[in-house]
Order: sequence, then structure tokens, then C-alpha cells
Amino acid sequence: MLSKDGQLSDVHVSDQEMLLAVDGELSTRRAADVRAHLAACWGCRARMAEIEATIADFARTHRQTLDPQLPPIAGPRALLRARLAESASKREVGSWWLLHFTSASRAAALLCAAVLIAAMVGRILANHFTLRGTSSIGAAFERSALPDSRLTPGATRRVTVTDVCSMAHEEVVGEVSTPLRHEVFREYGIVNAHPEDYEVDYLIAPGLGGAEDIHNLWPEPYTSRTWNAHVKDALEERLHDMVCGGELDLSTAQRDIAADWIAAYKKYFHTDRPLVLHSRLESVNVLGVGGVQPAPRQAQ
Amino acid sequence: MPPADSINGLSFPTVADAALAGNPSEIEREVVKLFEQFRDPLLRYALSLGIPVHDAEEVIQEVFLSLFRHLQLRRSRKNLRGWIFRVAHNLALKKLFANQRSQAKTTSDWTIAQEPFDPSPGPEEQLSSAQRRHRLLAVVHALPEADQGCLRLRAEGLRYREIAAVLGISLGAVSISLTRSLARLIRADGR
Repeated sequence: MLSKDGQLSDVHVSDQEMLLAVDGELSTRRAADVRAHLAACWGCRARMAEIEATIADFARTHRQTLDPQLPPIAGPRALLRARLAESASKREVGSWWLLHFTSASRAAALLCAAVLIAAMVGRILANHFTLRGTSSIGAAFERSALPDSRLTPGATRRVTVTDVCSMAHEEVVGEVSTPLRHEVFREYGIVNAHPEDYEVDYLIAPGLGGAEDIHNLWPEPYTSRTWNAHVKDALEERLHDMVCGGELDLSTAQRDIAADWIAAYKKYFHTDRPLVLHSRLESVNVLGVGGVQPAPRQAQ
Repeated sequence: MPPADSINGLSFPTVADAALAGNPSEIEREVVKLFEQFRDPLLRYALSLGIPVHDAEEVIQEVFLSLFRHLQLRRSRKNLRGWIFRVAHNLALKKLFANQRSQAKTTSDWTIAQEPFDPSPGPEEQLSSAQRRHRLLAVVHALPEADQGCLRLRAEGLRYREIAAVLGISLGAVSISLTRSLARLIRADGR
């Protein structure tokens, strides 16, 4: 091994470093040091040869033992294609309809949405807020996108991180039942709710251990231009990735999203406004409250 | 967050490209392409965990249906290979625990009886080769499950950070595990 001053060191390379070196997991500088030592040291080179030969033996045995058990791919591939087609057709209805439009009709749809949203925003502001003094329109939008914490404090089910990470997408198929949806509307005093106005959303997403419980559900207005359901979806994904990546404690993720999901978004994406990437209606700039472009490097 | 658009340098269309194109068949095609690329490594990994073939195939179908939903929802494409293996690992373990069939392991896991002999060497060499393989398998089976997982995932080409993510352990733990396992295999082989 070479020391800092370039002299040959008597310290041999450990097995762990040899393995890291052959697996390409060492830094360039360290890998060069290891190579230099191996060039000079027969003992370490012999050990490296043993390691490489054992890797080769294992890899060969792994394949030779398991490959004969693999059925041809054609059947499973055909089955997957059929299931994907079925899954795609199911998704053509619902909130993802926008994705299935051609670009021309999508542009027209967005234009209509702009008008509709502007009208709805006016109605919501008139109904729910009295904007006076220093209160800003942006703050009003934030309030409209947050649930009433007395009615919807958040509720979780008993899950472990392994559970959460193994059912990464169960939340996608989990629809809130119609009676429960009605109950949520009743609780929030919304009469004759139109499906196009609200989504009954989970405060703590099922993918983060949220429960299908009235305390974890609230009518989230689609009309929230800035802090809408799509932005919240992005936060949920971010938190899920962080939890499964070991960067964040599950209970912290649940607590933060339940306390104030907008504040959590700002915290975990390091931005004061939603990234354009996360807002489906970025081309519609209502009242000048727009999304922002993602920064070149976001929070890791 | 800017999406990562590659798996080990392989380029794929971005989620935004596919989803904004408004054409789900683009995503379907991409998922099938990834299935063709990863189905065998995933199946080998699932089988090595002790899951019967038909269950392992079903797990892998689930993995790619989840991937389809993942891409449709424009979720992160960062290191899709790691994501695919992580979901497969979790679903496979779930299936394994659900089954808990005592014969599952013996019928589908590595067994010397199922090993095909290489027809080229002579009978003595075949025997010697089979004995070495038998010894190697015995050592692998005796390793802790996490160590076996590290070895098998590495054998399928996963990098350390991907293995760490799949198994929910640290990068350092992956390195130590692989070193320890190889040291045992070397000792067992009398090298």
C-alpha cells in the first residue's frame, strides 16, 4: 500500500477493500492505491485471486442451479401484457383522465379547466374567506388546501416500515367507500357535493400507514390551484421514498404530513411553492399564484 | 426533483415524456421491456428465497403491475432496477411467509440433485465439480439470510447501494456481509 508520500507501505489490503475494489465500489483514489499495492505485493495478489475465483464459483453455481428451473418467458410476458392492458383500461376513468387526452384536446381541456377553476376559486373565496387587511391570496389558498384539524387530525393503522415499503402502491387502488365519503361531506357541512369539486383524500396516505378512518379523511378541493392533490401526492411519494430509504422515521413522516402537509412539502422539498413538476395545472396561472420550476438540485 | 433517466447507464424515456404523451401504451411497452430485462434475474432471486416457481412468477407479475402504476403516476424513476428488486423482495417475502409450506424450500431452493452436470468433463471431474458445488451450496445455506440475500443480489448484478436499499441495511453492512460470506466460501473450498 502506498503511503501519502508515495512510498510503499507495509500495510496489506484487507479482504473487504479487495472486494470493494473488484466490485468498483472504492473511490478512484483509493482504488488506485489498492492497485498499486497489489502490483507490488504477491501475497495480496494471491488473496485477490482467491476472492475472484470464489466469486466466479458462486456466480456459476448460482446460475447453473437456478437457470434450469426458469420457465420460458413467452407465457408470463403474454400474461403481463394482458394484465397491463386491463389495468390501463381501468385507469381510463377517474382522476387520471387528463393523461389520456391527445395533446390538442388536452390543451382545450386545460383552457376549460382554467375558466372553471377561476370561477370555482372565486366561489370558494367568497364562501370561505374574507380577505381583508394583510391576509394574502396565497395564504387563503393554503388554508383551503388544509383540512380542519379538529375533524381530521389524521389516523394511522398498525404497520411497520417493512409493511409500508412492501405495499408501495396499495394506496393507488384503495378507494374511499361511498358511505364514508358521504359521511365526510356531512361532517364538513358540504351539501350536495359535486364529485368534480372535491376529492375525499387521506390526510396520512395509506402508503405511509394512514387508516381509512373518518379522522383521516377530508374533502380536498380540486380547485386548489397551488396546493392541490397532485402536489400532495408528490409529497407522499417523497416521504415514502425517504422512509423506505432509511432517511426518515415513519412516525415523523406521519406526524409531519398530518400536522400541516403544506409545511411538510416546503420542508422536504426545500421550496416555498410547489414545483411545477408536481402541479398538473401549471399552465393555468390563476391570480398569479404559480408553481415554480424545480431547482437544479433538490433536497436529497 | 429532476428524474433520473437511466438504469446503469441505459437510457429510457422519461416519465414525463411517456405520461405527458397521454399514451398509456408507451408505458406498457416500457414495462414489458423492463420485464424482459429483469424477469430472469428476479425469478432466480425469488427462487433462491425458497418460493415455488409458480408463486415466484406471480410475484414478478405483481411487481411489474406495480411498476406500471408507479410510472403512470409519474413517480420517481430514480434507480428503477433497485426499485424493482426492492418491491420483488418484499412481495416475495410476503408470499414466503404466507405459504410457509415445509416442502417449498426443498422443492425449489438450490439442491444438488437438481444440478445439471456439465457433459464435457470426464466422470471423475464431474464428481469433483459436483462435490465442490455441493460444499459451496452447503456453506451458502448456512449463512444468515441477510448474507445470502447480499450474495444473491450481487450475483444478479446489483450494486451495493441497491442491495442496501432492497434489504434495508446500510452500505457498510453490505460490504461487511459480502466479505464475510466470501471468506467462508474460500475457507470451505480449502483455498
